[in-house]
Amino acid sequence: MIRRNLRPHLMATSLVAGVLMSTAAMAQDWPSQPLHVFVGFPAGSSPDTIARLVADPLADALGQPVVVENKPGAGGVIGVQQMLAKGADGYNFGININGPMTTAPRLIKDLGYDPATDIAPIGLIATSPLVLAVSSEFEAATADEFIAAARDEPEAISYGSVGAGSGAHLTAELFSDAADVQLFHIPFQSYAEVTTSILGGEIDSGFMAPSAALPHVQAGTMKMLGITSLEPFAQVPDVPVLAGHAGLPDDFRAELWNALFAPAGTDPAIITRLHTELDTILNTPEVQEKMLAMGWQVQPGTPSDLADRITQDTAMWGGVIDAIDQGN
Amino acid sequence: MTTLEGLAQGLNVALDPSVLIYSLFGALLGTLVGVLPGIGAMAAITLLLPITYYISSQAALVMLAAVYYGAQYGGAVASILLRLPGTPQSAVTTLDGYPMAQQGRAGVALFTAMISSFAGSMLGIVILVMLAGWLSDLATSFGAAEYTAMMVMGLVAASTVGTGRPAKALAMVVLGVILGCVGTDVNSGVQRFTFGQVQLLDGINLVALAMGLFGLAEVIGNIRKAERHGPPAKVSLRQLIPTRDDVRHLFAPITRGTLLGSFFGALPGTGSTISSFLSYALERKVSRNPERFGHGAIEGIAGPESANNSASITAFVPTLTLGIPGDPIMALMLGALVIHGIQPGPMMLQDHPNMFWGLVVSFGIGNLFLLILNLPLIGIWVSMLRIPFRWLYPAIIVFVCLGVYSVRGATFDIVMVAGIGAIGYALAVAAFSPALLLLGFVLGPLIETNMRRALLISRGDAMIFIERPIACGFVIATVLLLAVPLVKRIRTR
Repeated sequence: MIRRNLRPHLMATSLVAGVLMSTAAMAQDWPSQPLHVFVGFPAGSSPDTIARLVADPLADALGQPVVVENKPGAGGVIGVQQMLAKGADGYNFGININGPMTTAPRLIKDLGYDPATDIAPIGLIATSPLVLAVSSEFEAATADEFIAAARDEPEAISYGSVGAGSGAHLTAELFSDAADVQLFHIPFQSYAEVTTSILGGEIDSGFMAPSAALPHVQAGTMKMLGITSLEPFAQVPDVPVLAGHAGLPDDFRAELWNALFAPAGTDPAIITRLHTELDTILNTPEVQEKMLAMGWQVQPGTPSDLADRITQDTAMWGGVIDAIDQGN
Repeated sequence: MTTLEGLAQGLNVALDPSVLIYSLFGALLGTLVGVLPGIGAMAAITLLLPITYYISSQAALVMLAAVYYGAQYGGAVASILLRLPGTPQSAVTTLDGYPMAQQGRAGVALFTAMISSFAGSMLGIVILVMLAGWLSDLATSFGAAEYTAMMVMGLVAASTVGTGRPAKALAMVVLGVILGCVGTDVNSGVQRFTFGQVQLLDGINLVALAMGLFGLAEVIGNIRKAERHGPPAKVSLRQLIPTRDDVRHLFAPITRGTLLGSFFGALPGTGSTISSFLSYALERKVSRNPERFGHGAIEGIAGPESANNSASITAFVPTLTLGIPGDPIMALMLGALVIHGIQPGPMMLQDHPNMFWGLVVSFGIGNLFLLILNLPLIGIWVSMLRIPFRWLYPAIIVFVCLGVYSVRGATFDIVMVAGIGAIGYALAVAAFSPALLLLGFVLGPLIETNMRRALLISRGDAMIFIERPIACGFVIATVLLLAVPLVKRIRTR
């Protein structure tokens, strides 16, 4: 009888102990099943290629497959939503660009998540600056001349972007604001169209990835006047930085980035482990070379570095969007 | 390097056993995914992409390219036999292919599609080799004003595609244009008709629309008459061979279709769907008895099938020589090259002649293989018609769902296809043409964005459509297209 009475107590005690231990046990046994990384862009896109470059060595290090799930749409936002829908069980992660973490809450009404509270940053992976590209027939040969020409006649120089609110659009507006000029915005659907239009002489300029402009620069049909990173970029070392030149502030920086993150509520031990593994992967020369060949510079950093970057960029691009809204 | 030297070098690359095997495998897979309704080259290439990391860059690109043009062959099969376009590009083939199949001439229709696809591809390769430089200039000389004027002409010309009353045709084009408005407006970033659905921010999925309107609607429509469907007789080889009258009707449409397709293929963003529609419209315009169209006119298969195949060949010109992909599939292939450290662009021919010429030669080998593969298969395809509907249609629905899901992994699109299928059935009952809806959907957004862009470029001056010579030519052609029938009508009164 006594024993029987004791049973519920025992069970309750073990249950409490079990709950207390489960976090530790989970981190110890983790990972016991495949990991899923949600990418908000289709196969073959640069975020997808970056995800796959990281996923392979990560799978080796963890001893579990890392499955890249392409959920493209709405500028990467669908990938984040799908990851959040799967929940914070320690097996769902996301690799995505800056947009869904920074500007999306401003640009999309029914976003369904708040980057500040629903996302747990793990680490930045790589960044890419943009170059200011013009046709080789364009009269300005430097950023200074470009800005001087733009100042002479407001809105005379046009630039192409990949749509209102896109990185290329916001970067050009940030540049115009910092240089105190007015450029004329012409939206396109893709960078390919912007490039064609510059080559065809229809529009004057555009901010684009160095790798998109490079082949045309080599062929002598395009010029790169400046780059939006703080330091010269290894893929195009001859292109001067815009920051501190041409009357722009010393901290003028506009970069695209890709980062690894998890749904908020994911076990901190798992976040730490993944960050450590990511750091190791990003410090291998082979990965660095492959990223650079695609136009991306690896940027290892802590989860809190990534959190800071999200906060800074959200504020910076938010200001640009405010200015555009007021202008209209 | 002369063209001949290049071709010789290309032959060396393309006949390398490892490259050859991948090319044949790609062509086979392409045919297969082309036949399956909804599952297209996009899905197959996406699945193959991770494999390409581990094979040589030549083998990778040759394989992906073969999937791309192989799918154009397969697409016609389901269009003709079941009125289910295997790919959106072959939607227009249903218009005359399906009536031919119903008249017991499915074998001839399939033979026509295959031979036209082959001829279109081969002539497309010749055009690619001879005119690559000119075609790549064409891409940059076409600006927003030219695209606008050309698309408007296309829309006007192709509005005659369907059969039945002009008012009904117009209604479908307009509905298509309206559906094309759904999504984020590029110019303002405003979300139109998205009803708070993030999945609609990029617009309605083209594959979901095509499969719902054609595939699902057809399945629903056939449920009623399922019992009456008698098994068709076995097709003998003789029945495949077109009559002398048929052959006479093939040469001119294939030539016109190839020229049209080669032109549109080289223009980024227009592509093979539009060229097949325009080729159909052109054949109907030049035909001495246009009333045959829609009731099994063989030109209605030959023209569009040669057009979409030649377009799929010349589409490589802007991708390889400018680094500018014309459609999402080309963007994928560009991605595959970049992964291998090859940046396509103006320097491609100089820096990687092996790659370029190897690919061109592999087109020829792949297409020859596709013809040899597909002709004997016609008998097997036709025997598909003998599968009882109760087995065939559930299978089709599964493939449609798989195909639509494969585009971007969204279950939302499967729900969409169900809704569109119901609407498509209603339209079919009321005798509206779904082909025209699809055309409006494809062309409407292109016209809108290009027209607004042209007006931004000219800072609001509409004269841009008249001042630029190519655009002006299209405007004049459009006016003629509209005016000539009107004048004829007035005269006969």
